[in-house]
Amino acid sequence: MMTNPVLELRDITKSFGALTATNNLSLTVMPGEIHALIGPNGAGKTTLIQQIYGALKPDSGQVLLNGRDLTGLSVPARIRAGIGRSFQISNVLMDFTVLQNGIIAEHARLGQSFRFLQPAFSNPQLIDGAIAILDRVGLSSRADTMVSDLAHGERRMLELALAMAASPSLLLLDEPMAGAGPDDGQRMTEIIDGLRGDVAILLIEHDMDAVFRLADRLTVLVEGSVIAAGTVDEISTNQAVKTAYLGDED
Amino acid sequence: MTGLLKFFGLVHAGISDNKFLWLLIAGFAVFPIVTQLVDLPFWNDVAMRIMLLGMAAMGLNLVLGYGGMVSFGHAAFIGIGAYCVGIGQYYGLMNGWAHILLSVAVCASLGLVIGYLALRTTGIYFIMITLAFAQMLFFLFVSLEQFGGDDGMSIDRAEFLLIDLYEPLRLYFLIWVMLAIVALLLMFIVRSRFGVTLRAIKSNESRVEAMGLVPLHFKITGYVISAVICGLAGSLFASWQEYVSPDIMHWTRSGELMIIIILGGLGTLAGPLLGAIVFLLLEEFLPLMLGALVPAYAENWMVLFGPLLIMVVLFGRGGLVGLIDSKILPHLGLGKTAVK
Ligand SMILES: Nc1ncnc2c1ncn2[C@@H]1O[C@H](COP(=O)(O)OP(=O)(O)OP(=O)(O)O)[C@@H](O)[C@H]1O
Ligand SMILES: [Mg+2]
Repeated sequence: MMTNPVLELRDITKSFGALTATNNLSLTVMPGEIHALIGPNGAGKTTLIQQIYGALKPDSGQVLLNGRDLTGLSVPARIRAGIGRSFQISNVLMDFTVLQNGIIAEHARLGQSFRFLQPAFSNPQLIDGAIAILDRVGLSSRADTMVSDLAHGERRMLELALAMAASPSLLLLDEPMAGAGPDDGQRMTEIIDGLRGDVAILLIEHDMDAVFRLADRLTVLVEGSVIAAGTVDEISTNQAVKTAYLGDED
Repeated sequence: MTGLLKFFGLVHAGISDNKFLWLLIAGFAVFPIVTQLVDLPFWNDVAMRIMLLGMAAMGLNLVLGYGGMVSFGHAAFIGIGAYCVGIGQYYGLMNGWAHILLSVAVCASLGLVIGYLALRTTGIYFIMITLAFAQMLFFLFVSLEQFGGDDGMSIDRAEFLLIDLYEPLRLYFLIWVMLAIVALLLMFIVRSRFGVTLRAIKSNESRVEAMGLVPLHFKITGYVISAVICGLAGSLFASWQEYVSPDIMHWTRSGELMIIIILGGLGTLAGPLLGAIVFLLLEEFLPLMLGALVPAYAENWMVLFGPLLIMVVLFGRGGLVGLIDSKILPHLGLGKTAVK
């Protein structure tokens, strides 16, 4: 039986002036799969994510989510269509507590953000929902801490929790371990591993140990083009990849 | 009872800022008794002016303090509110409630249009665009000879059913009730789901977008609410002043509102009202004090006023409310009370 991909990219091309950041790129992410996107700095990984997310428009090509063409949809509309995202530079609500971050994500998820009377942060239903969101990454014990006082790795986990808040069908993770210490990186790897099967994940990561441990499939990007795609075993023995990318590692 | 308080969020964090606001408003309620006792009714007039500017500043604070939108044109809405009374009366509409409805409707529509256009920009461009709209409106009223142009038009105190504003203190308490209503409204709004979303947008717009919300919708809504509050203050201002001219919407008044908010405490409920009290009292007293000390310089009280404001902004981060919160309350053994 054929399953349909959660994400399908068809012939995406994007140029910045003379620079082709995405070159005729096609890729699929299957349900429940962790698909890693690797490549050297400046390969065009973030640019590709931006086009799936809706912050950048491809010059040509299509982005399909669960078979639906997302062309023309704004960022918030794509989020509501089932995309969750964490950013390369951590992107959370710094002036609020961990719990308050969860509460805002919770009423956004419920479509209740345009309510003017009841106080948001003392609403029991919203608190319960927020705790459930935080529990996913083990942050509910830090609920009352200001985000600005969190360790960097904890902020990355909060961001992952916020990205998962609306139970998206596709999660875009742009270097989720970046800046986190080795312990937090390890925890993050376990948490992402725990999401396997619940959500399709497109994962950008430079930490090769984490990639090899997590990825079901890999796509290798160099200068905007896919130079190899396949399972971890296939990629780790691929000569082109070794010279272009993995060679730099050791 | 505590259940009810909990429902309104009064037991949860943020109680001190709320309390402080209501303390000030209660102060305005008993103030006329004091002026009666010391036989200085002139001060009621000053208090009304403070309440009106305080109300407008509270309205602007919703976008400036909570939403992070530096609108430099909110005096225009005060002016529109005032002209709704003047022009309304010109065409024979004497009912004060009708003036208020009219100014709410006009300010909401105008706020929607200006907000929709201006909020596509950010930073310095937003400041310039809001200022530009306000200047357009200013010069529009300067050019409307029919309504007095530059010289303005005189106004009768509006007729509110059963309330004769020419009776002593009637206008005072009408303004006071409106101030209390605005305060109550804002207290709910800033703690509501809408309010915290607006604050989240100020903190990090792109994360709010990543939650599937459209920041522009929240910003425009906040902008409209604040325009309406300024319009309400403006209509009452017209009755207080018994006169309206384009001066009421001069760009310096927009600046004055911003100074009042920053002085009192950006993004706090009590800040704008406290700021208005201190700002207008200084404006009243500094020339007198300076005149008594060095008569030749009485005219130059602004020279003292400016540095004073800068000191509060620099040293009392969070304005006067922040200063009271972090420096004064702990010394009284009351502990630090989070303004958040
Ligand atoms: N808005 C932009 N305008 C012009 N050039 C851009 C823009 N965004 C990215 N680029 C260029 O496109 C190329 C790809 O950038 P991108 O950020 O996608 O790389 P990346 O693979 O995510 O790299 P890294 O691993 O360092 O995050 C780079 O050469 C970058 O300088
Ligand atoms: Mg990148």
